[in-house]
Amino acid sequence: MTTAAGTATTRTATIVREVEADLVVRDVRPVADGVVAVELADPAGAPLPAWTPGAHVDLVLRTDAGEELVRQYSLCGDPADDSRWRLGVLLAADGRGGSAAVHALRPGATVRTRGPRNHFPLVASPRYLFVAGGIGITPLLPMVAEADATGADWTLLYGGRSRASMAFADELARHGDRVTLAPQDETGLPDLAALLADPRPDTLVYCCGPEGLLAAVEELCTAWPPGALHLERFSARPQEPAAGADAEFELVLQRSGLTLTVPADRTVFEVVEDAGVSVLGSCLEGVCGTCETEVVDGDVDHRDSVLNADERAANEFMMICVSRCRSGRLTLDL
Amino acid sequence: MATANAGPGRGYPVNAWYVLARSDEVGGRPLGRRVADTPVVAYRTAGGTAVALEDRCAHRPYPLSLGRVAGDTIVSGYTGFVYGPDGVCVSVPTQDRVPHGARVRAFPVHDDGTFVRVWTGDPALAARRVPPRTPWLRDAGWATVGDRLDTAANVVLLHENFADITHVAVVDPFIAPPALHGPPPPLEVALSETSVSFSRQYAPAPLADWHAAALGLPADARHPQRETGAFVAPGLWVNTWEVQVAGVEPVPTFRFTHAITPVDAGHTAHEWRVSRNFALDAATDATLAPIFAEYYRRVRGVLETMQAVVDRDGPRREVAVAADAAVLAVRRLLAQEPAGENGTRRRRTAARA
Repeated sequence: MTTAAGTATTRTATIVREVEADLVVRDVRPVADGVVAVELADPAGAPLPAWTPGAHVDLVLRTDAGEELVRQYSLCGDPADDSRWRLGVLLAADGRGGSAAVHALRPGATVRTRGPRNHFPLVASPRYLFVAGGIGITPLLPMVAEADATGADWTLLYGGRSRASMAFADELARHGDRVTLAPQDETGLPDLAALLADPRPDTLVYCCGPEGLLAAVEELCTAWPPGALHLERFSARPQEPAAGADAEFELVLQRSGLTLTVPADRTVFEVVEDAGVSVLGSCLEGVCGTCETEVVDGDVDHRDSVLNADERAANEFMMICVSRCRSGRLTLDL
Repeated sequence: MATANAGPGRGYPVNAWYVLARSDEVGGRPLGRRVADTPVVAYRTAGGTAVALEDRCAHRPYPLSLGRVAGDTIVSGYTGFVYGPDGVCVSVPTQDRVPHGARVRAFPVHDDGTFVRVWTGDPALAARRVPPRTPWLRDAGWATVGDRLDTAANVVLLHENFADITHVAVVDPFIAPPALHGPPPPLEVALSETSVSFSRQYAPAPLADWHAAALGLPADARHPQRETGAFVAPGLWVNTWEVQVAGVEPVPTFRFTHAITPVDAGHTAHEWRVSRNFALDAATDATLAPIFAEYYRRVRGVLETMQAVVDRDGPRREVAVAADAAVLAVRRLLAQEPAGENGTRRRRTAARA
């Protein structure tokens, strides 16, 4: 309870959040079987926040049952046009209703958005292989446009169940034979092994689509140089664990040669400080980044506002004032 | 590298729109400036179009800015080589044939009537990134004073300054709003992929004497006040200070525009503008201009001193406070250079010396 109370107090002191805006739906139009393109704009015509290829936004949606759902959709328009955002949304038959709520939007409706943020940035390269499966084409559309504009050598393999299910294929036609469309009912499964057979140090692979495609591309890219493969999974953001669920864990301070215990109701920072190990700390609310500490081992439960998703996943650093450990033991470079 | 607190690296992205000059500074005489460690010469063609070229003749290392403009072209003041607005050499004095491939870089330019902005990074990306907009600087509803300060400090030190103005009360007690004395109210920071903004709502507090006078309010008036700031782009900060006087619309607001341009790793050009939507008369201009000029000169002195310390003794891991939330977010954006640079996104290296 101490931890929960402390968190509640400090949250009122500094609030770090993402940009939110209530945008108006300008257009909703079908672009393929089960897929609509949605255009959003500021109701007063103000410019929208800038973004780069690979970025996505949250839509805060309401289902028929009145339940609030937050869903992420890639921006698939033109980053140079800050008067509107375009999203491509597939109606998910087995979903909880987020995509159905998007499909039910009509021009004039208002939607709350958060972001944009970008966990799938396009890194400069002389050559790209883009691989899209189904609605995974959306983040790749602005990437293809940017790669083309910068004069990079690129190809896109775009697979789908059928030609009619493949959104934005018409827009890609202008790129000629750089784009290979692979409707499964016509050409079968695309030959990913052939596409990725030749690892090249000058080439980056960008892939977005269903889990099966991502897993296959990931497997085939193990022979590629580290960092060559960039993937985006369409999955919900991990939820914060409920307060009160904190557990005790063992804390090893590698440089100090100490093994300590972090009880459920104390922070790593407090335990380290009590042990007489010198650590910097300031805000003690996961905001300022002063107590950032290198992680040697352990599955960190990141609760700060400092690290982004990539940095959290990398598990290299943590803010010891608020973050904890999911595994039984945490080892820090202290 | 003298990059203050941004860790290794120059501290700024090159794929960004930066202010090169005021629009009225670019004309029929060549203007030489340095942007993102690149020499740039600007001029206007006979038709009035702003042009920005690499400020170095292709034949000898002599700046084109020391030459002259002739019609749509610029002529080297030493070699006599003549270049068109696209940077291609169109004639040389010593032979009829123009040497094959003789040219200088031509940079994408955006001229909005207030500032001429230039893009010295990948030219193909320029058309795909919207230049920042500052329409209030040309809006009759706002009156503006300002100046340019060439500052011997890395651009990151300027970003950090505009991301947290709680130092104003220390740097310049005369100008500081009394609301800034004592612990500040909660800070709200809002992030997007490319921007950081922050705000604080202050309880009713008195105003500095000069501020109350400009607003036509009694010296002892107390009003709620609101501070906002936004890192709009790597070359632009827009901050505001509102005085929420009951019944007065629009809310009397100072809007602070900071066009900051990295010159090189140790120098930054700072075009500051202070705009207001009240007391638009010239007499108020004359009162306010020296007050803000003095404040920004003091800020420059502090920034240059910090740069000198870092140059002499190196960067060092710093103690941060909760009020630094916006500063840290900006450092992260700058450390995480956008796509199109350096081959990879780097992890934040702030304060990791």
